[in-house]
Amino acid sequence: MSMDLEFRRIVLGKYMDSTLHYCLQCSRCNDVCPVNEVSDGAYNPRSVILNAFLGLKENLIGKPNNIAVWGCQICDTCNLTCPQDIELTDIFYIVKNLSVQAGEAPEYYVIQAKAILESGKAIPLQTAIERRRSQMGLPEVPTGFEDDVKIILKETELEEKLSKY
Amino acid sequence: MSEYKLFAGCVIPNRLPFLELASRKVFEKLGVQTSDAPFSCCPDPVGFQSTDKESWLALGARNLCIAEEEGKDIVSLCNGCTQTLKAVQYDIARASELEKQRISDILAKVNKEYKGSITVKHFVQVLIEDVGIDKIKSMIKKPIELKIACHTGCHYARPAEVMNWDDPEHPIYLRQLVEACGATPVDYEEEVLCCGAGAGNAKTEYGLGVLKRKLDSVISAGADCICVVCPACFTQFDTQQRALSKMVEKEYKIPVLYLTELMALGMGFTPKDLNLKYHGVKTKNIMEKIGL
Repeated sequence: MSMDLEFRRIVLGKYMDSTLHYCLQCSRCNDVCPVNEVSDGAYNPRSVILNAFLGLKENLIGKPNNIAVWGCQICDTCNLTCPQDIELTDIFYIVKNLSVQAGEAPEYYVIQAKAILESGKAIPLQTAIERRRSQMGLPEVPTGFEDDVKIILKETELEEKLSKY
Repeated sequence: MSEYKLFAGCVIPNRLPFLELASRKVFEKLGVQTSDAPFSCCPDPVGFQSTDKESWLALGARNLCIAEEEGKDIVSLCNGCTQTLKAVQYDIARASELEKQRISDILAKVNKEYKGSITVKHFVQVLIEDVGIDKIKSMIKKPIELKIACHTGCHYARPAEVMNWDDPEHPIYLRQLVEACGATPVDYEEEVLCCGAGAGNAKTEYGLGVLKRKLDSVISAGADCICVVCPACFTQFDTQQRALSKMVEKEYKIPVLYLTELMALGMGFTPKDLNLKYHGVKTKNIMEKIGL
């Protein structure tokens, strides 16, 4: 196992001056994590933080069924509880973004991103709902964002980042 | 009270329009003025931010620009949208000059300029600060005498430094609003536990496991129903109880009411007016209990 310095640089890039260095590995994050409990420890936020901080990328990315990374549901409970004020979920976003580009995101995330890429909304409008809305006397859902979204996501190269799916 | 831009999000207008209906009715009764705008997906702070932070940041900033152009604050009907829009403001305010320039360059492609000049509020905040509990109490014609488990959900007040609203560990405002409707908020151990929707995105059983822990706590507290302020939590509670019942071979069927539905019922609207028939977990029993 070796340290991936580039990975470590990305993780620490934003946080050099912050508290990540002071993680005590006290495991309060695991204690309060609802997913740690229901997954019998398969998802372990303390361990994600340790591996990210040490730059041990291969422990997080490049494994099948990467629940070690994707078990996090961003409920922000660990953030709230961490005695060292480490912004755990911000680190998880960085790791997950890299996992996406490595082709390891769960299907849900890919489907959602493709829906936004195509329609500008995570959950596009359906004809049946349109009908229901008008029966309820609701106004039409505003449109006019589609072109902007396409231009922005071309600029951020989302399609390329999703090229493995 | 000045007019807000209504940020209804994706889930409510495109899947749960009856929640938009109840919200518009309640806003109208209380004099909360809103107007629509061509907002895109917020985008989802759990899903899309995990997929690609830069795309998330840029689309969120574009939405903020639209409200900024009209000089109007945003009221959101969804925890996720509220968190995304506030987190984008928080992140840009703390970004390096290089990162700020990058976002500004992306927005320039769609002729937008981010200023950070407006405030984003969850609708609970607008109800508490702009309308006030006393006025809401005075509008309740039909007290909803039910025992209610309040569930604010994760992104309502967490992370505290971003949301800067209510107490993330002991939220009080939803309880006050539920009480104003004549209902009794019950104490239950897992009040601040997540609904489990996010965990279900990666693995169904994990989502259902979190849901079970939540519902067992709600049931043992003797609640008649759950009250939520987020369409993702609503969907998790309203549609996943059937899957949970199957998984653990025990029936779960606790009705779920979105806060504006509860308020609208208290203001005299009927279950039919509000299209409660579209709920997955039927509300018939609790409606009978309160004589509706």
